[in-house]
Amino acid sequence: MDKVGIVGYYQVQPSLNLNMGRYEMIFNTVRGALDSVGLKRKDVTSVVSATNDYYDGRTISNCFTVEAGGAYLKDESKVEMDGAYAVYYGLLRALSGHHKLVLVWGGSMPSCFPYSSSTLLSTDPTFERPLEIINDLTAGGLQMRAYMNKFDVPAEDIAQVAVKNHKNAAKNTSSLPESRMPDISTETVLNSDVLSSPVTELMYSQPCDAAACILLAPEQQALKIRDDPVWITGVGYSQETYYLGDRDLSRSQSMQDAAQMAFRMAGVKDAKKEIDVAELYEHFSHEELIFAEALGFCDPGQGPSLSTEISGGIPINPSGGGMSGNAPCATGIIRLIEAIKQITGEAKGYQVKDVQRAIASGQNGFCAQTNMLFVLEGGSK
Amino acid sequence: MVRLEYIKKEYEKTRQMPGKWYLTSCRYKFNITRFQPFLSALKEKRLIGLKCRSCNTVSFPPKLVCGKCLTRPDQWVSLRETGIVATFTANYMKDETTGEANAFPVIAVRQDGADTTYLTQLNPKVKFEDVYVGMPVKIKWKDNTEGNLNDIDYYDCIDDPTQKMDSLTK
Ligand SMILES: [Zn+2]
Repeated sequence: MDKVGIVGYYQVQPSLNLNMGRYEMIFNTVRGALDSVGLKRKDVTSVVSATNDYYDGRTISNCFTVEAGGAYLKDESKVEMDGAYAVYYGLLRALSGHHKLVLVWGGSMPSCFPYSSSTLLSTDPTFERPLEIINDLTAGGLQMRAYMNKFDVPAEDIAQVAVKNHKNAAKNTSSLPESRMPDISTETVLNSDVLSSPVTELMYSQPCDAAACILLAPEQQALKIRDDPVWITGVGYSQETYYLGDRDLSRSQSMQDAAQMAFRMAGVKDAKKEIDVAELYEHFSHEELIFAEALGFCDPGQGPSLSTEISGGIPINPSGGGMSGNAPCATGIIRLIEAIKQITGEAKGYQVKDVQRAIASGQNGFCAQTNMLFVLEGGSK
Repeated sequence: MVRLEYIKKEYEKTRQMPGKWYLTSCRYKFNITRFQPFLSALKEKRLIGLKCRSCNTVSFPPKLVCGKCLTRPDQWVSLRETGIVATFTANYMKDETTGEANAFPVIAVRQDGADTTYLTQLNPKVKFEDVYVGMPVKIKWKDNTEGNLNDIDYYDCIDDPTQKMDSLTK
């Protein structure tokens, strides 16, 4: 694959109730990314956005984001999924040879719509919806129980992942302030409100208002913009079945496939040795373990024994990951931004040592039905 | 009984405009001709699943398309009324008079003879604490069946032979 560089990025500070409208939030994000490298709107040749009609309260909602999203008289189009998928389409445009600078942004404001209730509308109208028992939370409960039961993993091990990520979020000034918990313990996690047994409130990525933006450019153009772009050297993407009942919820085949694809592209043979840090979008804490196993960091069911702290053997989510706040449609882009910061040494307070190669993931659907994985590398490679 | 609201936070500073989004007025069509054997069986209090001739997967509830093979399964196979709990969680319902939230088990049942699971509810009298993965369950039919999935009133627990063995050996 030809190289595509990430030349700039910006993220709006997440909040449970951002004191601005969607329009300003998007403007601040896009303007912030361009300003981060001193570029202008006219330098942008293509725009891909990630929002959701329901979240925006408008059909074909990118009609109203044209101006704020920097897309006036540009070939903008929208992905109604996590922002990581918009990055994928942005990457393809950059690789097409027809674009010099692709702007990708995603975000939403869960303070303006009932996030978990809205996921009820993702369920199947024939078999699932009439019972009104399945939304993203109950799906997460089914997934966590399936994982715990399959591999005999105690709830404490999963709470430990939440503890690590909430502690990491406390070091990250770009995290949702409410997610920063430097003194959290496994007991606090296990004793927090039950959302959908065995999932408790502190094992769930809290929906919050935010948006994020990155700028992509093909190799030669990227090097004109800056000396040290972070390169996307691999990407993989896979989808599993829609019906939860058709899937083995204790593992993630889609993440395994995505990883295989991305690692082959980037020439990664032994993920555990060759990946220095992972920023994974986990909707629930147990998903981080399921992903780590799917990525080949360890055998199935061995996730809890991995050393994933900032100073550990394979640091996962030094930024706090999904636990540092989930801004629907932005979270995948935020994971990418955090992986970039680790490579460029900008992750002040939660920097992993000597990061050359990082991975970042985005997901969509119940129990991470689909996963998108990027391999990022620094240097002039 | 109403569904618990997950939204706790209220607006503080920004002014809000109320809006309505009539999503639930949408209609969904599905192929009743191809589904007829399934619906007729339900009316007779029988269960059947659809088997893909290409990969032999038996789906229950029946799926009109096998995603793995991109084929239309057309072989109906009989299933037993029993199954096991493959995984479970809880749904919380608030009692409007007392304001108390009660946990109701939501279960994924693997019907005996099927390869997929069905997300459904247990007998509301079964306590959430008593549910476990591997628990044997059996369909409780409605008295008057009409030929749709609601004919399954709920799943009820049945004696677990493995549990009895455990207690004997203890
Ligand atoms: Zn098949």
